[in-house]
Amino acid sequence: MNTNLKISNVTKIYPGCVANDNVSLEFNSGKIYALLGENGAGKSTLVKILSGVIIPDEGKIYLNENNLKLNSPLDAKKNDIGMVFQHFNLFETLSVFENLIIDSDEQRESLREKIDTIIKKYNFSIDLDIPVLNLSAGQKQKVEIIRCLIRSPKVLIMDEPTSVLTEQETSELFLSLKKFSEEGILIIYITHKLKEVMQLCDEVAVMRRGKLVSVSEIKNENIESLANKMVGQNLKTIKKKKAKTSSDQLIKITNLNFTSEDPFETNLMDINFSVNRGECLGIAGISGNGQSELFQVLSGEIISEKNSIEFNNNYIGDLSPQERREYLMAFSPEDRLEQAAIPQMKIFENVALNNFKSSNFFNNGLINENKIKEHSKKIISDFNVNTDNIELKSQFLSGGNLQKLIIGRELITSPDLLICFNPTWGLDVGAINYIHETLIKINEQNKSIILISTDTDELLKLSDKISVIHKGKLSTIMNAEEVTSEKLGILMGGAN
Amino acid sequence: MIKIVKRDQPSRAIFFFTPVLAIFLTLVAGGLIFFILGFKPFEALKFFFIVPIADKYGFSELLLKATPLCLIAIGLSFCFKSNNWNIGAEGQLTFGAIVSGGVALLFYEQEGFYILPIVILAGAIGGMLYASIPAILKTYFNTNEILVSLMLVYVSKLILDYLVVGPWSNPEGFNFPETRQFSDSAKLPLLFEGLRIHAGIFLALAAVVISWFVFYKTYLGFQMKVSGFSLKTARYAGYKGKKMIILVFLISGACAGLAGVGEITGPIGQLHREISPDYGFTAIIVAFLGRLHPVGIIFASLVVAITYLGAETAQIFMQIPKYTGQVFQGMILFFLLASDYLLFFKIKFIGSKK
Repeated sequence: MNTNLKISNVTKIYPGCVANDNVSLEFNSGKIYALLGENGAGKSTLVKILSGVIIPDEGKIYLNENNLKLNSPLDAKKNDIGMVFQHFNLFETLSVFENLIIDSDEQRESLREKIDTIIKKYNFSIDLDIPVLNLSAGQKQKVEIIRCLIRSPKVLIMDEPTSVLTEQETSELFLSLKKFSEEGILIIYITHKLKEVMQLCDEVAVMRRGKLVSVSEIKNENIESLANKMVGQNLKTIKKKKAKTSSDQLIKITNLNFTSEDPFETNLMDINFSVNRGECLGIAGISGNGQSELFQVLSGEIISEKNSIEFNNNYIGDLSPQERREYLMAFSPEDRLEQAAIPQMKIFENVALNNFKSSNFFNNGLINENKIKEHSKKIISDFNVNTDNIELKSQFLSGGNLQKLIIGRELITSPDLLICFNPTWGLDVGAINYIHETLIKINEQNKSIILISTDTDELLKLSDKISVIHKGKLSTIMNAEEVTSEKLGILMGGAN
Repeated sequence: MIKIVKRDQPSRAIFFFTPVLAIFLTLVAGGLIFFILGFKPFEALKFFFIVPIADKYGFSELLLKATPLCLIAIGLSFCFKSNNWNIGAEGQLTFGAIVSGGVALLFYEQEGFYILPIVILAGAIGGMLYASIPAILKTYFNTNEILVSLMLVYVSKLILDYLVVGPWSNPEGFNFPETRQFSDSAKLPLLFEGLRIHAGIFLALAAVVISWFVFYKTYLGFQMKVSGFSLKTARYAGYKGKKMIILVFLISGACAGLAGVGEITGPIGQLHREISPDYGFTAIIVAFLGRLHPVGIIFASLVVAITYLGAETAQIFMQIPKYTGQVFQGMILFFLLASDYLLFFKIKFIGSKK
């Protein structure tokens, strides 16, 4: 049976922002649709409208010519619209089976049969009776998908489903999605990853600033054309020149261990690596495998044994972040809003967070505001931060501009080593490009980078050497040219 | 048609305007309440807000009430600006008063210029000690400072109760729940003959200046601010975030303790059961009404102090309970929080088109 889903003139306005501006789209079963757009383009709002979480100000939704009234997620379920969110809605301590039956009023036995058939049919390897907390992210996602399939949906919406998956899990997911589509389920796939759209989808709708900018068939598009539509301008492609092989060692980590008292943190075991001048070492891994702990140990937020970190022929393992900065290290943490900057404080105050002795921000315990402001203005112009008001609270900067400010703040002291953790996470393509260019420039100036990232493409683009972190252990360090994303995926999943 | 639009950034002018708006709305609502109670609204408001401060004595009383409010609110502003929700200033005031009162009683029947500074210092230390409890529990055991500091208020009041009824009660006091009178050397000097306003006001003014300087001009103040917003950021910047939290609690406790000293070594000159008409709680309103800014707090403490005086005149002249004062304090906070909506949103009036 053919399914037809029509969005007609949907508008949703928030104070100060038009999230969806008169969006009309039509979907037919048998095809996989991509909904593509940068963060804030309005795609999440649109799918939330489809799944009943948000009620639009104007516009209608038709499923097979029937006008749907979606006032709650329950209405969407009743109308055979299934949705798998980016963040899982599962009870960690309940078993898989219990999670699956929790919102159903069918009989346990008949449901169990139904679930077993689904699992067999799609070759999902999941034990129904173990608690969800023992599952990998990929398996958890399958549980969410099964939960939708139980209701035999006509429409299945997937919101950024691969952000937590390994390469292998991603291809498994794609196989399943293709199968669902062949069986007549209409699939809408939300993402900002262009490569996935090219691999998986048949048609693509691109959104920008709340508006639908194009609907086209994938065969008429390529990655560059989609990227340009998404950003609304022509992007240049960045390529890193092969680094001059230097053998001048800058930082060396020897037998570094970290044991946490917090059960939600990962212990680091026997970390060994070194980085030469002018090199970028990429550290790949699925999030939650010890990256955050590794960053903190390297930045000095967590103190370790003095001899475990040797930087520029000094042992600095027991020094605080501020002391390490004086040895010309710089840090850009993952969390822009909660760690690297304080959104409620002004731009120039955020600049003062990187207090380098020679920048004289504070004299005899007093704030030297003029100096900080002068410095801030330089960062803003040197690093293309799109504002001219350094008195602005930084919460009013976009993610990209805030990240430029942070990277700028760290780099303006011309450090020998920059350690950054997911520097482009959640940014739009334009900002990502800028940050990537900046990082390449640092290497060209014979300065080094340790890039901890969960984005494999980014790592392959920028790194000279790559290692993978899994459950707090580093893999052997490989030359970037010899590495493929498939190989990284296998290591990220924990295999050798 | 009325439309609500989000501001691109909070308006600076509105930031200072909303407290004024809140006071205006409080007056309107207060007038309305008086009207419903059967009074002439304007006359009643006059009794409440103008009559009490119309003469020299009234004005002195206003400053007398504003002094502890200002002092405590200044201390609280350190906590609140760094996101530490110390709402137990009343307890810190009480404990500060207990310690300084205890020291003052030690010097009973003694004279000397050195006594008053010791008594004042003891009050500050008492407040700090008491504030360090929620601070240490928060930083090292992750407890919620709101609950801990609030509960400790009642503990301190019970300690005070026990002391003035039991071991510290005046042997010649016919079992009244109060201590001996302190010696004159342990009392803050009165500023004018016949008026109750005392030297405690200088402590408050000094606190205003020092807090402004520390918070806006020093590296220490900057670190306190950062630590308050995010301990993670403080750690990343290399600050000792936990120490900063404890420090703001200590400052806040010291200020409340000093307010306690002012209450017992001022006109009263002894410890008794009710040393504070909830100054510690009312000061929370003062701190927010003053926008956590030292100068704002001076004005706010004067405005809120009037509600104390007005409540008393209203009780005398209009036979309404003095708790009306608390009604007004509540309304000020209520309207302030409500009008803060205007910081982020503006109201647009659009003429109907069709």
